[in-house]
Amino acid sequence: MDPIVYVALGAALAAGIAGAASSFGVGIAGAAAAGAVAEDEKNFKNALILQGLPMTQSIYGLITLFLILLVSGILGGTFKFADSTQENIIKSAILLGAGLTVGLTGLSAIPQGIIASAGIGAVSKNPKTFTQGIIFAAMAETMAIFGLVGALIMIITGVGF
Amino acid sequence: MEINTITGILDTTLALIFTWIGYKTSRIIWKYTPYSYPNARIRAMEARFFTEQRFSELAESKTLNNFVMNLEDSDYKPYLSKLNSYTAETIDRAFDEALADTYALMFKILPKRVRQFFNLLLEEWDVRNISSVVKAKLYGEVARDYVAELGTMIEKIKAMAEAKTMEEILVILEGTEYEEVYQKLLLKEISVEEFETELYRMHYLKLLNFALSRGDEERKILEEFVKLKIDKINILTILRAKLHRLSSEKIKSMLLMEGSLSQRTIETLLNVEDLSMALAELDSTKYSEIVREVREELEKGDLASFEVAFEKFIRRKMIEFTRFYPLSVAVPVSYILQKESEVRKLKAIAKLIEDKIKPEKIKTIIGEIP
Repeated sequence: MDPIVYVALGAALAAGIAGAASSFGVGIAGAAAAGAVAEDEKNFKNALILQGLPMTQSIYGLITLFLILLVSGILGGTFKFADSTQENIIKSAILLGAGLTVGLTGLSAIPQGIIASAGIGAVSKNPKTFTQGIIFAAMAETMAIFGLVGALIMIITGVGF
Repeated sequence: MEINTITGILDTTLALIFTWIGYKTSRIIWKYTPYSYPNARIRAMEARFFTEQRFSELAESKTLNNFVMNLEDSDYKPYLSKLNSYTAETIDRAFDEALADTYALMFKILPKRVRQFFNLLLEEWDVRNISSVVKAKLYGEVARDYVAELGTMIEKIKAMAEAKTMEEILVILEGTEYEEVYQKLLLKEISVEEFETELYRMHYLKLLNFALSRGDEERKILEEFVKLKIDKINILTILRAKLHRLSSEKIKSMLLMEGSLSQRTIETLLNVEDLSMALAELDSTKYSEIVREVREELEKGDLASFEVAFEKFIRRKMIEFTRFYPLSVAVPVSYILQKESEVRKLKAIAKLIEDKIKPEKIKTIIGEIP
């Protein structure tokens, strides 16, 4: 494959997978939020906060997409790795790897949505468990943060601005 | 390394990763997403269960009017407000209607793959009603008094209760799965006790088959639940029979299929000489905590307390499952069990208030209801 394909795939997978996972996560938690609110409107605030947690992975994906497009020159108008030399292929593969790292760790949005969903159920029964619910759901976030940090290191050290 | 080799390795790795991730992700989504809405809704409904304090306040109602007024802020209001007069019987029917709607709600909101189980649970009320009506008719009692307004064939049950002859009941049951076994009863091929056992056997076989047809956690939870219920009936039958010194052959014919107790344990229980030896055998099973809880009452021959303790044990087990599997079928099963318990207590309070029993006594009695 040409370097442009790897770079484009890296950018697309970072934002695409993380975004899709976020939508699943928010969807799962959203269904739970609807169930909780259907029984008692007072659950709205707590449910909304928990439902929003799986959204962050899509932001990490978007940041990575911009970075990949920036370092490869696509955002500036000149693609830096147009020639299929070994160096260009390696650099474009690194960008693909960075995008893939964020995309795959962004899948943590799905379990995060499941945890948030169970948390919404627990909060509906006992509002005192709200903080614990947030903490449990936030644990899944750490994997996405590790992925973003790893991708940044790969982009900066492997390709550079 | 050649460029083609690098790209080849990259492409293969990508394909493998995406296939694996895609499979795993779809499994997770398929497993948990359908429970997201219903379980959060059920959890919110659980927050409205009556506390011991609330039951005590209701026990202080003194009149049925006050009792109904005290329930105005509860989920039972729509059912009680339809009543023209307040008697224990009319209130009882209102609670039955509320419970029937709970089953209907479960059927409506739960994932397709498990909702049939709740329909089967509702069918248990059909079995209870048929058995009660037939026994009442045989013993010359008013069958209508024994009908709970719950189940999937309530109109047929009411018609059965009004039937003038036993043959008329056969016409009503025509086309249902209960027809054949009732025919055997009419032809005196089986006794009324065997008729009742056969009804429950048919019902629990359906429940068990459904549970075994599920996968993963659903199977584990439903199988455990059904087997616990089978064990409860089998153990109670054995203990009752031991109390009345029936032969092991006679007891065997009254048992349902095998639950979670092994065949060896059942055989031992059947062949021990008396109740105390049966209790000693039960002490070595997973039900030892129930035996220990009510040993004194059991030794006096009070099996009702054992039944109560067993019901509570099943409820505890299901609540445990809800902790391990918050997005699973354990949550609605546990909710139904708790709702049934709440309705039982409320019905008892209404009846005791009508019988002018003192509040202190009512509180003691409802504390003993499972």
